[in-house]
Amino acid sequence: MKKAFEIALGIVTSIGGFLEIGSLTTAAQAGAEFGYQLAWAIVLGGLCVIFLIEQSGRFAAVSKHTIPSAIRERFGVRYYTLLLVTLVLVVLLVLAAEIGGVCIALELLTGVSYQWWALPVAFVLWLLLWKGTFGFIEKGVSLLGLVTVVFIVAALKLHPSWGEVASGALPTLPGHDKAHYWFIAVSIIGASITPYLFFFYSSGAIEDKWDEDYIGTNRAIAGLGMSFGALIAIAVLIVAALVLLPQGIKVEHYSQLPQLLTSVFGYWGFILFAASLGIACFGAAQEISLEVAYFVAQGYGWNWGENVRPKKEARFSLVYTVVIVLGAGLTAVGLDPLKLTVLSMALTAATLPVSVVPFLFLMNDRSYVQEYTNGFISNAVVLFIVGLSFILAIVSIPLQIFGG
Amino acid sequence: MDLFRDILDKQIIDHDQRPMGKVDGLVLEFTDEGPPRVAYVEVGVLTQARRLHPRLGRWVARWLKKRGLETDESFRIPWAKLVPMSNALAAAVDAEETPVMSLERWVRRHIVGRIPGA
Repeated sequence: MKKAFEIALGIVTSIGGFLEIGSLTTAAQAGAEFGYQLAWAIVLGGLCVIFLIEQSGRFAAVSKHTIPSAIRERFGVRYYTLLLVTLVLVVLLVLAAEIGGVCIALELLTGVSYQWWALPVAFVLWLLLWKGTFGFIEKGVSLLGLVTVVFIVAALKLHPSWGEVASGALPTLPGHDKAHYWFIAVSIIGASITPYLFFFYSSGAIEDKWDEDYIGTNRAIAGLGMSFGALIAIAVLIVAALVLLPQGIKVEHYSQLPQLLTSVFGYWGFILFAASLGIACFGAAQEISLEVAYFVAQGYGWNWGENVRPKKEARFSLVYTVVIVLGAGLTAVGLDPLKLTVLSMALTAATLPVSVVPFLFLMNDRSYVQEYTNGFISNAVVLFIVGLSFILAIVSIPLQIFGG
Repeated sequence: MDLFRDILDKQIIDHDQRPMGKVDGLVLEFTDEGPPRVAYVEVGVLTQARRLHPRLGRWVARWLKKRGLETDESFRIPWAKLVPMSNALAAAVDAEETPVMSLERWVRRHIVGRIPGA
């Protein structure tokens, strides 16, 4: 009974937490410019994140280690530092994009420019971490995130041709804007894996004291939660293909995004869009700020945990405080949230091997996972998708930036 | 036991099971009879910095001296006070009373402690 509840809660929070500014924007851009053609990228990204999350939970349940701590232990302080620096640089951009997403939602609702919202949003974000018990808030926000299911309702109401959607699930070569096509594909894969959820997930498993009995639970949560989450991203792509593409709107400014839902639901679509964007991005921003603090604390061997009072673990609290200030700072100076989003998602894809390859070594190391090592498929799927997105990223990012 | 694989960079917990850092370095003792033995494990930002790059180590050492925080050595825990466990090394010391927590104490006193609600 308790397990059934845990599985349900895990799945529901995964679904509610899946969409954030990265998946939303990249799926909308893909649909607006290439119709259903890029659905395969969402499928690949979703598949990769299902495998990574399952592995992360299994790793924590069997080894009782968090991933950052194990990476430091197994690969040494030098590699850990390289990973830390890479992660912080990319994640700060992602965080700025997520805070930007919350601010845009508030701009849509109030008319006050998004930059002005950066600091108030950062303050609320920080206050909840400072005062609250993280787990409770995180689960609460993820539950509210279920509002994003509205995209699935919208997609169904538009009666897409399912045959065409299904054919988009198989990769095809683009007929126009080739460089941009691959760039969006990379951003989509990056967006489904960001905000490095699989690091975060192992911390939760340790705190809930998972053991080998949870391997099945974990598989159910990872498989179902992430699949349904990815369905929301596919729904966004479908809606964009049916609403924005016929009008020739290419999603170059975030003010174009609410049309996704207003075309179906009218005025309420506008409110639902702002709520989805605001809640989804707020939840992601919370996870990212905590994730950096976890990553540092676990790698340096500090005390860490959901319910530690700031004074009991001052360094941990200081890390997330500084991270939030820096992220909000990037938003406040007026970096375009849309460009920041797409770029940070592509950078996530480009830097994935740095975090995923050592993780795969751990997943095949019997001194950590005993007999629960990765099978051939688990290794192959993750390696293939990460390798593919890395190659696509290093080719398409320069083309995107310098090719205009 | 393989020192690099099993000891270096492993988690250390104190007598209250509180995390108190990682094994940042090992101090070996050479004697005339028998093979070298581990005398101490080192915990501290200085050892970490030296492992990243000698120059970084010198910068950190200079900075620490200027702040009067530490001498030119990291904190050392005698090997005799350590018990290897499955996921950590248990040290028979009180973390709060060691220099390992000096950064924590400094941040607590000067930054975090001053923010309301801490």
